[in-house]
Amino acid sequence: MAEHDDGLIVLTINGREVRAPKGTMLVDAAKAAGIEIPIFCYEPRLGAPIGACRMCLVEVEGMRGLQTACSTPVAPDMVVNTESEVAKDAQDGVLELLLANHPLDCPVCDKGGECPLQDRTFRFGPGRTRSLEPKLHFPKPLDLSPLVALDRERCIACFRCVRFSQEVAEDGQLTFQERGDHTEIATFSGDPYEGRFTGNTIDLCPVGALTSNPYRFVSRPWDIKNTPSVCAGCSMGCNLEITEREGDVKRLTGRPEPNMAVEEGWICDRGRWGYPALRSADRLQAPVLADAVGRRNVPLERAVTEASGLLAARGARVGILLGDAVTVETGFLACELAARVGGGTPAMVARTGIPGHGLGPMRALPGAQMDDIDGADVVLVVGGDPCTQQPVAELRIRGARRAGAQVAVIGPRPTALDASCEALRTTPGHLLDAAAVINERLQGSERAVVLWDEADLAAEPAAAEAIARVVAATPGARAIEMCADVSGPGLRALGIPAAGDLLTALEAGAIDILLTIGADPTAGPAGDRWAAAADRAGTIIEMATHRTGLTDRATLVLPMLAPLEDEGVLVSMTGRAQRLRPGAREAAGAAAAWEMIVGITHRIGSPVPDRTPAQAFRRLAEQHAAFAGLDYRVIGSEGAAVAPVPQDPGVPARGPVGDGLLVVPCAPVFGDAVAHRSDALEAVREPSRVALAPAEAERLGVRTDARVRVTTPEGTVVLPLEIDSRLHEGAVYLVMGDPASGAARLLPGDRGPVHAAVSAAAREEVGA
Amino acid sequence: MTAHEIEEYLSPMRHEFADPRSLILPALKFAQGDSGWLPAEDMAAVAEATGFSQAYVESVATFYDRLYVEPVGRRVINVCVTLSCMLRGSDEIFDHLADYLGLDGEGTTEDGMFTLAKVQCIGACDRAPCLQIDSGEQIGPLEPADATCLVDDLREQPAPARYER
Ligand code: SF4
Ligand code: SF4
Ligand code: FES
Ligand code: FES
Repeated sequence: MAEHDDGLIVLTINGREVRAPKGTMLVDAAKAAGIEIPIFCYEPRLGAPIGACRMCLVEVEGMRGLQTACSTPVAPDMVVNTESEVAKDAQDGVLELLLANHPLDCPVCDKGGECPLQDRTFRFGPGRTRSLEPKLHFPKPLDLSPLVALDRERCIACFRCVRFSQEVAEDGQLTFQERGDHTEIATFSGDPYEGRFTGNTIDLCPVGALTSNPYRFVSRPWDIKNTPSVCAGCSMGCNLEITEREGDVKRLTGRPEPNMAVEEGWICDRGRWGYPALRSADRLQAPVLADAVGRRNVPLERAVTEASGLLAARGARVGILLGDAVTVETGFLACELAARVGGGTPAMVARTGIPGHGLGPMRALPGAQMDDIDGADVVLVVGGDPCTQQPVAELRIRGARRAGAQVAVIGPRPTALDASCEALRTTPGHLLDAAAVINERLQGSERAVVLWDEADLAAEPAAAEAIARVVAATPGARAIEMCADVSGPGLRALGIPAAGDLLTALEAGAIDILLTIGADPTAGPAGDRWAAAADRAGTIIEMATHRTGLTDRATLVLPMLAPLEDEGVLVSMTGRAQRLRPGAREAAGAAAAWEMIVGITHRIGSPVPDRTPAQAFRRLAEQHAAFAGLDYRVIGSEGAAVAPVPQDPGVPARGPVGDGLLVVPCAPVFGDAVAHRSDALEAVREPSRVALAPAEAERLGVRTDARVRVTTPEGTVVLPLEIDSRLHEGAVYLVMGDPASGAARLLPGDRGPVHAAVSAAAREEVGA
Repeated sequence: MTAHEIEEYLSPMRHEFADPRSLILPALKFAQGDSGWLPAEDMAAVAEATGFSQAYVESVATFYDRLYVEPVGRRVINVCVTLSCMLRGSDEIFDHLADYLGLDGEGTTEDGMFTLAKVQCIGACDRAPCLQIDSGEQIGPLEPADATCLVDDLREQPAPARYER
């Protein structure tokens, strides 16, 4: 009777019959039945329950004393009461004790109004205190890190932040010190809490003990509006929530209802604190028109009209370049526009990013979602460095290791996973040699997940082919592509090629008008070539969020909305279509790229039928097999899988270009343009630099405090040098931080292998 | 104190503990023997020797009153202030000692000779009011005058080779 055929356990909670799968904790069983048991410390994402706060005490018939519902699993015929006299008394008692030293400074607390301690006290608490003792006070607040503030007297010692640090991020930094009422959260000798995920402790804290420094005193919960959206920081596509006040983005947090198939509710600090970049000094504020009269600001309407006039000119040869964070709707509409310009001369449409010829076999492997990593028996990271390039993936991989998976990190770069997982360092440029090891590690596995790096394997097509063969031969093995660009997967699914041909056409003088959409080719690979090529086009029309290397040369500058302000779909690296929802008022003088394109088609006299991104999406789903059957409703708040598209089989065999050492490119998201524009991230952003193995530095005669000249066929840049004994000799690790440093410009346009000559720079040489 | 020295000290007892976390306490006590307290470097050495994070080791150290993460005097005088001792006059003993040592309550004398601390029951209620020097025998019952004599005696003694606290 108690155990049903369906395997569910039957028990009684508050007189009601409840069914739950074996192993379910009482809190969850009750919650599923609509009964709230108050909790503070319980958080399954942090591992097994620890029963630290005692908030969840309930009465279970036949059991001595009260039980913690968070750590008591359901059992057949259990009779539970969460509202009995005894249970209510316990709830009162626990809250009274938790509040004994709590300052109750809710009116000046950032958490006030969205605070579980407040909510639970109102709902379950005693209403008044009997305590006459003076409360304990600590000076406040303390900076736990430049980004996280700690108010010790508000802490209820629930252990959530400590468990996050110890058991999820595994950075081992946060602990409790002292004991009893003097217990406080601390790091070793008061060092700042450093890491890429520190902000998650703020989301986890059930009281106002941990708050965001940049958000401190910025708004109250009743002044704000929260919108679920997606981070466009990297191809992970973490789901997040945008907090808006009076039209401005004031805060980003993890989703209160985590997307377990993507980010599990965690976001990295780059994602969380990148939003101040929306208001950085170089944000484009107003459209600019340069014509015979001069260079001046014009109203947006006028700018769009001018753009359509230029693009409509009969015979104009137009090239459209899409950047690395544009939505699929924008990409689709750009293609629609391409068919309408030049009075019948179709435009070339291309995307920045990696061509990926030769990745066909890897992309044909069965795909996995992030939550498949949880249950994997073997997890292999091949090339790249998820810890710095797709940070939240690191947390998932650590979780798999804790759950017993064999994890190996294979590639030329040292990573933050090396200390706890098997690290197999390969010789730069020789991922092909790793195929044998990969094969060995996959032997006997049944649920392997292979995360592979787009950039690294695109540079080594032979390795891609060999590794794909090994993975394809392993039953149950699935793959996740760690993509270099945010918009790459979406634009590829629309069939939009990389920009190699467009660059050649520009250089050959075969393009009259270059329209860039959210792209700054002059700051990326082959930047100098792009700058020169763009000059050959008579006219540049730029849609951009911030100033770029083309802004001053453009005939028309159309300020566009950033992903946090825009609506549309991005496809994540696991091929998941996810919706961006606008979390802020449109920036003054700016408009969404899709909207400007729609406007241009209207003025050209050949309007597209779409008035909203949803309509554009519906149409593109009809035309592109990858998106078949999808619309905004199907995508919903959890996202939906995009079908894999057949890949361009072309393998342009080309060896490395240039002289010197092989370049190992590193593109940390904490070094990207947004990180450098956001003042909140000042203390944690990554500068551009060159890193060498000690022996290599010695051979080249360069020292740590020196700056070095790095030369590839694409140009020369002077960068600071770092010597790191974990690196391979015979290679130069190029860390592409600050875009202004020009480091990324040293890579070839096709992102194929390149050599660089490194030498000591003269003292006075700085920057690019 | 180096991590190596701590490891050597721990190696004969490692097998006694099923949970390696249990090694942290003996390691900290051992490390504290050197200078009488635990500077950050010593805690870092314990972390290295036991394989736990520095933060975790510090968390353990701060949990226990008799592990000192701030410098203390050559001798620590622990005056019991729990019920039995309190009823039998521990307040007077404490105040008298503080006065005699020129301290304003708990703390360390300027010459670094003594640290005066209030502690909870030290398990000698039958000898209340009592106190304990470092981890030595409980001494009691005491009159305020006995306490000051004790201090005078201690002053004469040389610094211990290793601190037992
Ligand atoms: S700071 Fe917040 S999350 Fe951390 S233990 Fe205290 S109440 Fe819990
Ligand atoms: S991992 Fe990537 S997508 Fe996720 S929050 Fe960080 S930058 Fe954004
Ligand atoms: S929620 Fe159960 S003890 Fe904290
Ligand atoms: S109360 Fe002082 S020894 Fe027990």
